[in-house]
Amino acid sequence: MIARQLSFFAPAAVMSAWATVMLHSIATGHIKQLLSPMFRNYVLVAAIVLIVLSALYLFLYEPARETSASALAPGSCIRQLGRWLVLLIPVVAASILSPSSLSGSTLQNRQLDSTAGAIPMPTWNSASQANAKAIIDSDPNQAVPVEVTDLITISHTPAQIKAFDGRKVRVIGLFNNQGGNLKLVRWIMWCCAADAQPWSVALGGNTTGDWKNEQWLEVTGTAQFPSTLGHIIPHIEVDSIKPAQEPDEPFLSP
Amino acid sequence: MFFAAAAFDLPTGPASASAGISWPDVALSFFAIVLEGAPFLLLGAIVSGLVDVFLPANTIKNWLPKSKTQGIFAAIGAGLIFPLCECGAMPIVQRLIRKGVPPAVATMYMLAAPALNPLAMFSTYLAFRNQDPLLMIVLRFGFSLVVLVFLGFWLLKLRPDQMLRAETITGSTKQTQEFSPNPGLVLTPRSGLSLGGLQQFTGAVIRDFTGVLLFLVIGAAVAALFSTGFNRNLLMPVGHNIILGPLAGILLAQLLCLCSTTDAFIIAAFVPFSIPAKIAFLVAGPLIDLKLYWLYRSAFKPSFVHGLWVRALAATFILTLLYSLQP
Repeated sequence: MIARQLSFFAPAAVMSAWATVMLHSIATGHIKQLLSPMFRNYVLVAAIVLIVLSALYLFLYEPARETSASALAPGSCIRQLGRWLVLLIPVVAASILSPSSLSGSTLQNRQLDSTAGAIPMPTWNSASQANAKAIIDSDPNQAVPVEVTDLITISHTPAQIKAFDGRKVRVIGLFNNQGGNLKLVRWIMWCCAADAQPWSVALGGNTTGDWKNEQWLEVTGTAQFPSTLGHIIPHIEVDSIKPAQEPDEPFLSP
Repeated sequence: MFFAAAAFDLPTGPASASAGISWPDVALSFFAIVLEGAPFLLLGAIVSGLVDVFLPANTIKNWLPKSKTQGIFAAIGAGLIFPLCECGAMPIVQRLIRKGVPPAVATMYMLAAPALNPLAMFSTYLAFRNQDPLLMIVLRFGFSLVVLVFLGFWLLKLRPDQMLRAETITGSTKQTQEFSPNPGLVLTPRSGLSLGGLQQFTGAVIRDFTGVLLFLVIGAAVAALFSTGFNRNLLMPVGHNIILGPLAGILLAQLLCLCSTTDAFIIAAFVPFSIPAKIAFLVAGPLIDLKLYWLYRSAFKPSFVHGLWVRALAATFILTLLYSLQP
């Protein structure tokens, strides 16, 4: 009797749990650390559909009156229960245990050393170029607020490097210190956090302070574009550093 | 050696295979993959439910070419015209097989839809626009097509019982619980209600969604583990090698488990990789990887999936190696 009730309510419970987890990630803003903006509305729609499906299931079906002998067998019951638990536990656990950003060890595993300045700045469209032009055209007497990715975009065009080299900038990013090589990092996400890649600019100059890896910092300094081993790697000669709030979008999307 | 450093943020020095695995990051990646994939899987299950209710098996059979060989090429063409992501394709392919579409034809559509996806070609153009984009598109499309045709001729030789799990019955229009991706799910219509079409649709969607979701969860767990814990720089030294380069590209595709519309942006950043290594990555990944392996297991026998895996990767390797060896 209990097994029959359990097996009846399990599909609705699993679908409702997935819908709840999806809605929770949207309501808390956690979804910003998981998916690029393009995919977020799909999750909302899926959550609503799953709730409707759960309700329809409970309305249209009822617990089995006579369960077949094979379905009542202990092995079959356990297998089916295990199936529902695999659908339920990992996703709920992951929603609870997921951190707000990827750690330094993942950064080390995913970053491509010494090539950051050599590869074209990936983007879906030409917005990054337009953004770079707007930054270059801004008031040269003010520290320009830029993203790490803007500096990388500029570093690929000699004319833009010439126009921007030596300009004061203000950049927010994650601090990273690997064996004395200081970097300011932003993660770029294509679809989801699983494909996110770190992009960074080098830091030099007045970097004193008790900064921890993966700490959000606001760096003000001079943008430079030195050539290292034939690659232009953007560099900020730091004037000042201060802790910063996590940006509204911790991952950048192209 | 990859797992030897498995610990919370355990640094293992510059010579090690990995900087360690951060299990919270694995959880984050896993959660991201399932949240990204579940809506498409649900969409696939809904389309599958609509096919179940509104498309009689005979109608589908009438649309198909009479010859299975022609069917294979029609499936490749359909993959080009009706692109679907890997997650969304699974429930639809299983439904088509249960509606009587020859398994070889349905399987070919499943493989061709992500591999020849026009969006994947467009993203390849964007990702490589400073690295000879037209060459990359031509090579990706051409090599994918050759591998698909090769796999198509292999599929033609197989009997349905050599390919499909017992639950994915061929040519049957029966909708009993035994013939679904979630055979243990017992659906008993509420007595006194006569909403046949809605009940059939709802039952089909729930069976297909929950049945394939199990395999997405397993595949996502494996993909999250490797995409988080594998140090990508390890493959850099061999990426430009004539023989090892394509192998490195294939291995990377298997471990990172990326969608075909995204993968070009990731591999474009692997500057030391040769063109054949990058093409091997772009051709092999959409056909099969560690996540797709589990998704395919929702419909196909393990022996078939293993055979598909070996053939897809071997064909990709041979093609890219030949290109690599050209003067």
